[in-house]
Amino acid sequence: MPVKIVTDSLSDLTSEITKGLDVTVVPVYVRFGKEVFRDRVEMTTEDFYSRLVRSDALPTTTQPSPGDFLETYKKLSKDTNDILVINLSSKLSGTYESARQAKNLYEGKARIEVIDTKQVIMGLGLIVLEAARRAKKGAKMDELIELVQAMMPKTHSVMALDSLKYLAKGGRIGKAKGLLGSMLAIKPILTMREGEVHPMTRVRSRQAGMDYLYNLVAEFKNIQGLAVEHATNPAEATQLADRLGKLYPRNQIIISTVSPVIGTYVGPQVISVSIIGEEASPAA
Amino acid sequence: MTKTHTVTGQDLREMFAASTNWLEKSSADIDVLNVFPVPDGDTGTNMLLTMRSTMEEAYRAPDHSATAVADAMAKGALMGARGNSGVILSQIIRGLAKGLTGKENISGADLAAALKEASENAYRGISNPVEGTILTVMKEAARAAQEQVDKGNDDPVQVMEAAVATANEAVANTPRLLKVLREAGVVDAGGQGLYTILDGCLRYLKGEAEGMRFRKPQIIVSDVTSTKQVGRISPKEEIPYGYCTEFMIKGQELDIDYIRKRLVKKGESLIVVGDPTAIRVHIHALSPGDVITFATKLGTLHQVSMRNMDEQHQDFLEMQHDKSPAADTGIIAVVSGDGLTDVFKSLGAAAIVQGGQTMNPSIKDLLTAVEGIDADKVIILPNNKNVILTASKVQELTQKNIEVVPSETIPAGVAALLAFDYEANLKTNTEIMKSALSNVRSIEITKAARSTQMGNLKISRKQPIGFLDGDLVAVGDSDIKVVEKIFARINLKNSQVLTIYYGGDADPEESSALGAQIREKYPHLQIEVIRGGQPHYNYIISVE
Repeated sequence: MPVKIVTDSLSDLTSEITKGLDVTVVPVYVRFGKEVFRDRVEMTTEDFYSRLVRSDALPTTTQPSPGDFLETYKKLSKDTNDILVINLSSKLSGTYESARQAKNLYEGKARIEVIDTKQVIMGLGLIVLEAARRAKKGAKMDELIELVQAMMPKTHSVMALDSLKYLAKGGRIGKAKGLLGSMLAIKPILTMREGEVHPMTRVRSRQAGMDYLYNLVAEFKNIQGLAVEHATNPAEATQLADRLGKLYPRNQIIISTVSPVIGTYVGPQVISVSIIGEEASPAA
Repeated sequence: MTKTHTVTGQDLREMFAASTNWLEKSSADIDVLNVFPVPDGDTGTNMLLTMRSTMEEAYRAPDHSATAVADAMAKGALMGARGNSGVILSQIIRGLAKGLTGKENISGADLAAALKEASENAYRGISNPVEGTILTVMKEAARAAQEQVDKGNDDPVQVMEAAVATANEAVANTPRLLKVLREAGVVDAGGQGLYTILDGCLRYLKGEAEGMRFRKPQIIVSDVTSTKQVGRISPKEEIPYGYCTEFMIKGQELDIDYIRKRLVKKGESLIVVGDPTAIRVHIHALSPGDVITFATKLGTLHQVSMRNMDEQHQDFLEMQHDKSPAADTGIIAVVSGDGLTDVFKSLGAAAIVQGGQTMNPSIKDLLTAVEGIDADKVIILPNNKNVILTASKVQELTQKNIEVVPSETIPAGVAALLAFDYEANLKTNTEIMKSALSNVRSIEITKAARSTQMGNLKISRKQPIGFLDGDLVAVGDSDIKVVEKIFARINLKNSQVLTIYYGGDADPEESSALGAQIREKYPHLQIEVIRGGQPHYNYIISVE
C-alpha cells in the first residue's frame, strides 16, 4: 500500500495541480468578521481577494483543529498503513501542532509522521508534489521523510510586493519593518525563511521586481521544481513563467495562486517564485 | 468658541484626553529617540501609559470644576506613572493641579500660573535636574505662557499657543544642552513627549479635535548640525545600568525629603514624588535590594517593578538594528539638503555626512561617521565626483572594512542604496550596488556661475543649465525648458520611474507642475515629486 501524503491549504496545491497524485489537503480557516470559511473550499480565491481589497479590517486565519486532521487520518488509514503529513512552517501557524496532536489522539494502526517544512506557499507545495510523485512510484515512509528533509534547505520562496501596506496592517512585518517609512515609493522583495518575513532588497517598479525574480532563478542550478504564483494577476504570472521557460522547461513550471491566508499579508498584487535547487553562488 | 475663551473643567479633561490620543500616535517614534538617561527605548510608551492612567482617574472626578478634574488627574498620574519620564510627567500634572486649586474655570492667567507651578513641581521632584530634557521644555513653555499674560493677554488659547511654540523650540534646542543627544543626533524623547501632549491640548482648544484623527504629531528634528549624524545609537563606554526600580510607598506622614536624602546615594535618576500618604520612587540602582529594604520600613509597598536595564538596552539596540539594512554592514552617504537626508535615512543609510557640490566633506568628516556607526563593514556612497577620492582614503585611517561605491550623483546613490541586498556579504553587496549605478540616469538643473561657451552651447551667467549624468548638455531660459531639452535626449519610453527632487530654492508649485506636465506626456511613467532641499540644484531628477 502506498504512503498517503497529507498537507494543508497553505501549500497552494489545487486539485488541478495534484491531479493524478494522491494528496489530501486539509484546509485552514479564514474569518472575515463573523463569517468563517474553509480556505479554498467554501470561498474561492477570487472572492477572497475582492473582499480583501474592499474590507477595512483584515481577515484572520485559524489553523485546522486536531479533529480535522484526526478525521483525515482515520479516513486515510482505511487504505494505508503509512500517512506522511507535510506542513507549513510551525512559526507561521499552529497547523503543524494540530497535525501532531491529532497523531497523538489517533488510535488506529497506521504509522503517522508529521514534518514541519519551515516553508509555505509553493515552497511547501513543491516539496509535497515531489513526495507525492515518489510515493506513487512506491517509495517507503523512511525514504520519503529523508527526501523531504533533503529538499527543505534547498527550497526558497521569494515574493515581489507592491507595497508593505498589508504586511504592516497584519502585524506580520517581522524583520522587514526596516523597510517601512521610506520617503520613496518602493516595492519590497521579501523571502519567507523559517516562516518569518525577511527583506531581500527593494526595487522602484513592478517591472524591476519581475526582473529581480527572473535573475534570482537564473542564479540556481540543478532546479528540481519551479513555481510562479500570483494573487489577482494571472497574466503577469504567465508572462513571468514564459520568461522562466528559458531556464527550466516551461511545461514543468507550475502556476498557482497564493493562498488567501498569505495574501492577507502580502496584498493582492503579489507575484512570487518558489524554487527547489542549488544556489550557484551562495551568498555568505 | 468665542474670541476670549474660558476653559472649563470638562474642557480640561477633554483636551488631555485628546492629547493622550495624540501622544499615542507617536509614542513608538518617541521610543526610538530615547537615549537619555538610559537608551532603553521606552519613553514614549511610558508617557503614554502614564497619561492613560491619568485620564482614567480624570473621569472619576467628583464634579466638573477645573480643580476637581485636575486633582483627579494628578492622582491618576501618580498611581500610574511609569519610567523616568512618566514620573516627571506625573509631577507636571500634579503641579498643574496645585496651580488650579479652587478654580472653577481656567483663564489665560490661571493657565500660565498652573504651567509655572507644573514646571517648579517637576524640578522639585528630581534630585539632580538635568537641562536639555523634559524639564527644560516645561520651564520654557511656562515662561512663554507667563510672557503672554504679562502682555495683557488673558485668552487661554493664545497663552497655550505661545507655550506650545516655545516648547517646540525648546525641544529642538535640547541637543545643544545635552551632549548625549548631540552625539546621537536626536532631540530629547521626554521633551518631545511633553511637546506632543501640550500640542495635543492646543489643537483640542482650537477646535481641531476632528482633524487630529487623520494627522500625526510632528517629531521635532534637531537643527544642530553634527558631522556625526548616526542612525544607530551605541554608547562608547559600557556603563553598568543596573536595575530600573519603581514602587509606591503608602503610609502615614511620609517624609519626602528624608526619603530622597536616604536614597540619593543608592543609584541614579532618582525621583521621589508624592504626598505624605503615598510616595512614588523611581531609581536606577545597582543593588535594588537595599532600596526595597529601606522602603519597607516606611510603609507598605505597591506596584513594585524591577527591570534589568542591560536587557532593556539590548532590546533597544536590536530595535535600532531592525531599522538598518543589515546587522554588520553600515552605509554612509554624503548628502546635502534636509529632504535628501531623510530619503537616504529612510532607505537605511546608517549615517549621513553633510556635503556635496562646493562643500566637499573632509576625510575626517567621513572617518568620524565611519567610526561612529555600529558596524565593522562600511559602504560609502560619495554621491559626487569630487568626493570619491576623499572616500577612497578613509580605509587607510580605520580598522574597519571600507568599500566605496563610486556614485557620482544623488540618483545614482539612491539606486545603489536601494539595490542593497540584505542577505549578501560586503563584497557581493559592493558589486551589486556598483552595477546598480548604471540603472539610473541623472539629470541635474542648476544656474550657470559665469558666462561661458561650451561646445555649441552659449551660456550666460545665472542662466539655467542642465547636466545629464554629469555632463553639461543643455541651456535654456527656464528650468523646465532645460529639463525638456534633456528629456529629448533620452528615451523615456523605456523608462519606468521618474523621481524629481526639488531643491531648497525651487518653487514647490513649479515642481508639482513639472511632474504633472511629464505625467501627461508620458502616462506610463511612475512619477514622484519629493522635496530634496539641496542647495545649488533646483532639480535633481532620476530616470530609471
